[in-house]
Amino acid sequence: MRISLTVLLVLLLTVSCTGKHGDTVQLTIAEQYGLAYAPLQIAKEEGYISELLPETTVEWVKLGNTAAIREAILGGKVDMGFMGIPPFLIGWDKGMKWKIFTGLSKAELGLITWRDDILDLKDFGPEDKIALPQPGSIQHILLSMAAGKELGKSDAFDNRLVTMKHPDGMSALLSKRDVTAHFTSPPYVRMEMKEPGMHMILNGEEAMGGDFTFIVGAVTDTLHEKHPEVVEAVKDALAKAMVLIKQNPGKASAILKDEFSLDEKEIYTYLTDGSLRYSEDIEGVPDFLAFMKNSGYLKKTPKNLNEIIIGVDE
Amino acid sequence: MKKTGERTGWIFLLILLWVALIRIGGFSPLILPSPRDVLKALYEGFTQGNLGWQILISMGLVLTGLTAASVSALLFFLVSVSSRAGKSFIETLTIIFHPLAGIALLPVVILWFGTGALSIVFIILHSALWPMVTNLSAGYQSLPETYLMVGRNYELSKWRMSTKIILPGSLPYILAGLKISWSRSWRALISAEMIFGAVFKTGGVGWYIFSRRVFMDTPGMFAGITVVIIIGILMEDLFFGILEKKTVLKWGMSLES
Repeated sequence: MRISLTVLLVLLLTVSCTGKHGDTVQLTIAEQYGLAYAPLQIAKEEGYISELLPETTVEWVKLGNTAAIREAILGGKVDMGFMGIPPFLIGWDKGMKWKIFTGLSKAELGLITWRDDILDLKDFGPEDKIALPQPGSIQHILLSMAAGKELGKSDAFDNRLVTMKHPDGMSALLSKRDVTAHFTSPPYVRMEMKEPGMHMILNGEEAMGGDFTFIVGAVTDTLHEKHPEVVEAVKDALAKAMVLIKQNPGKASAILKDEFSLDEKEIYTYLTDGSLRYSEDIEGVPDFLAFMKNSGYLKKTPKNLNEIIIGVDE
Repeated sequence: MKKTGERTGWIFLLILLWVALIRIGGFSPLILPSPRDVLKALYEGFTQGNLGWQILISMGLVLTGLTAASVSALLFFLVSVSSRAGKSFIETLTIIFHPLAGIALLPVVILWFGTGALSIVFIILHSALWPMVTNLSAGYQSLPETYLMVGRNYELSKWRMSTKIILPGSLPYILAGLKISWSRSWRALISAEMIFGAVFKTGGVGWYIFSRRVFMDTPGMFAGITVVIIIGILMEDLFFGILEKKTVLKWGMSLES
């Protein structure tokens, strides 16, 4: 035990001593796994960012969840990360100095069950478990929003959650045993709905009561203040990738197929069937803020949105 | 008592080091919170949260798993002393399963038992069973031949031989095995809870740490880790310490001395 404490302290020391950049600008971007991050993957594969920033060394890390991204940014290992709006807000609320600089995608999210007797949130029994990526994720906050609206109790499901990555959640759902429902995102929503007996009880728009951005890009204040041009360039590179996806989904699918080890045709379907829409717009932040503040997930809200979003004027 | 004093002294020193590190390093409290913040989070965990329940749930799960492991280990042991074939069978099982980390079995366990308490107990059982079996047989092998000869001289039955001579004679090894099993299962429990989510409504200490992490409550995370450490110390120094003092130390057969 003593040894583990010492190791912990040494680790913390190492983390805090590295991450200081030299003269050439270094940019480390954290991504997660999924088609919602497609513009990011295309910009990476096609070298769009390096094209615009020949002097900058760009590094990519793939992290398993948003908690890990926040921890890496705090440790100074990562400058830029992509995630749902709620995990960003939780970090900002706890004092992380970072801002949203772009939207990345909107997506069809849904709560899917195999149980015929469950048509509505109120049909869930006390033993029914819901799988989702983690508490505090966009799926969890949307579920809480809907629970607040429909059951009058936003934390109604908080003790019935199972934390699972999307693929694990899908296999748990399809085995029709332990997990009653799965709150997931593309491509898993469509994959699960294709299976016999599955139906969707709730989608993201219904939960939110409107349109919202699924994944946003966030950047540390340090990088943005020192090198706003880097942030601009990443934004431009992503815009270029979004244009490619829209105008030439065939080529985009070909680029993405290795990344996802999925069939090219399948990716093409997901890129064009409307379950994913890529856009720089950032929508839904005020709604998430209001709900998360009221339900106690956040302690504060910004006076002005430009405290948390770059380039928003108010 | 001397041991308690030393332990407290070292812990105090570590806390001082912690405070000094914060003073010198200027760490963000999001990376390294102060002991005071952690204490406050601990207090809030008990008063506003369910930390008390969560500790009981975790302890209950470990005790269930350890009891199941003890019973199974005893059965395995009886099989292995009963015959040559039994011995080599149990040895083979141990070789196969002992090196398998409980967490590596998770995907299989989820398939078989789902994600509830049963799965966690199964993982604890797995983590605790093999060290116990190994130690039981090591204890048996270390028994002086004379003890067994005395038993045979009295024409003791296999059952009486096991309960009156073999088990008491290998008690130091059994206790050592229990200690290893306890710490392994405690570790396995915390990891399994972090993956399985809340069992029995509130979940245990592992779930507490995980939920503090996802909401970026660093002092809360440290509070959870502190709870894990304190329970570890209490079990090691108080429970096992007293148990050893009452038995093997008193009988003068401890492994260490």
